[in-house]
Amino acid sequence: MNKFIATLAAAGAVLAALPAAAQNGAAHEPHASEPPTPRFPDGTVDFGGDGIWDQPWITDFGRQLVGSDEIPFLPWTKAMYDYNKSTNVAYDPQGFCLPPGGPRSMGTPYPSEIIQDFAHERIIIIFEGGAHVWREIHMDGRPLPNREDVNPTYFGYSVGHYEDDGSTLVVETTGFNEKTWLNFNGTMHTDELSTTERFSRPNRDTLHYEATIDDPGAYTEPWTIAWDVPWAEGLELAEYICQENNKFLIDLVDELGNPFFKKVPVE
Amino acid sequence: MRMRFTVAIASVVALGSSVPVLAHHSFAAEFDSDNPIDLTGTVTKIEWMNPHTFIYIDVENEQGKYENWALEMGSPNGLMRRGWTRNTLKVGDVVSVTGSRARDGTLKGNARAVMLASGERLFSGSSQPGAEPQESN
Repeated sequence: MNKFIATLAAAGAVLAALPAAAQNGAAHEPHASEPPTPRFPDGTVDFGGDGIWDQPWITDFGRQLVGSDEIPFLPWTKAMYDYNKSTNVAYDPQGFCLPPGGPRSMGTPYPSEIIQDFAHERIIIIFEGGAHVWREIHMDGRPLPNREDVNPTYFGYSVGHYEDDGSTLVVETTGFNEKTWLNFNGTMHTDELSTTERFSRPNRDTLHYEATIDDPGAYTEPWTIAWDVPWAEGLELAEYICQENNKFLIDLVDELGNPFFKKVPVE
Repeated sequence: MRMRFTVAIASVVALGSSVPVLAHHSFAAEFDSDNPIDLTGTVTKIEWMNPHTFIYIDVENEQGKYENWALEMGSPNGLMRRGWTRNTLKVGDVVSVTGSRARDGTLKGNARAVMLASGERLFSGSSQPGAEPQESN
């Protein structure tokens, strides 16, 4: 065991020496040995198969930036980020069993499944975690509505289309509510948020996910993040009902040591 | 040995870009990774529930008295993928649990791995960053 820890320490030193760019949102380089990208007869990428997308870890957006080194915080989002860090992100909405919303849904450590429903011109993404939720992407060519015309929701209103000869799914979303964090680490957003996501599958075993976050209420400029989600051949989604027995909330106290939820005395 | 070293490097590079956990809430808000626990005791209750499975074990303390510890594991779906079934543990089994104690000092902890009565050791879906070695990505 000590040898293993020493090995980790040595590897950590190697990691520290790597240029930052090599760690940030690096595009996946397909290997010849990997099974090829599944496609429908017309050439459109097939995001399904006998398996699920199995995101194994929480994704830290600040380390997955594309084309920049820092999240372009406005002062208030930087202050809230620092505050959330100081509380060990205790008030993360997802800890309350609320849905992730936005790009975080692809960065939460539970599996998902992407169902391309061509007959009904829509895509459904089912998330096993994050409150066992789904999102719908309209693929019938309808335009993205104005933000003001949509009732704000956790996942917003999404329209999509294919690019690159069917190899990339591009999804635009607006109409988010303000009840989620963009990220586990406490990066917040406003209802001015809109996102552009790009899904591709460079080989059977890799989903490459990229998202541009545009929220003038929270950030000085749009910023882009990207990471790969691995495929788990043969696995299926399982049931997960976060709300069942959330002891974390029952025990949660605020910075003054008071219960987060008011306890009502029993008569 | 070279193979093991390669796997370890891959793990740490992965850690550098993301945090491998099975969690719906912050580990650090509730548990203290600097306060490790290593407990052996008899299972008194199993809550095979979301978002976290809990097992309760009676552990003899230094005064010879038995204390009942609550140990948080991953959700049933995550445990299932780590080789657990609802029959893996039974009330009365003697198990050893390693993990981290709750910050509030109560008899509560986050289980990282459980050694079963059979001698088999299973990871328990800890929400502690880096709790489980990753061999891919």
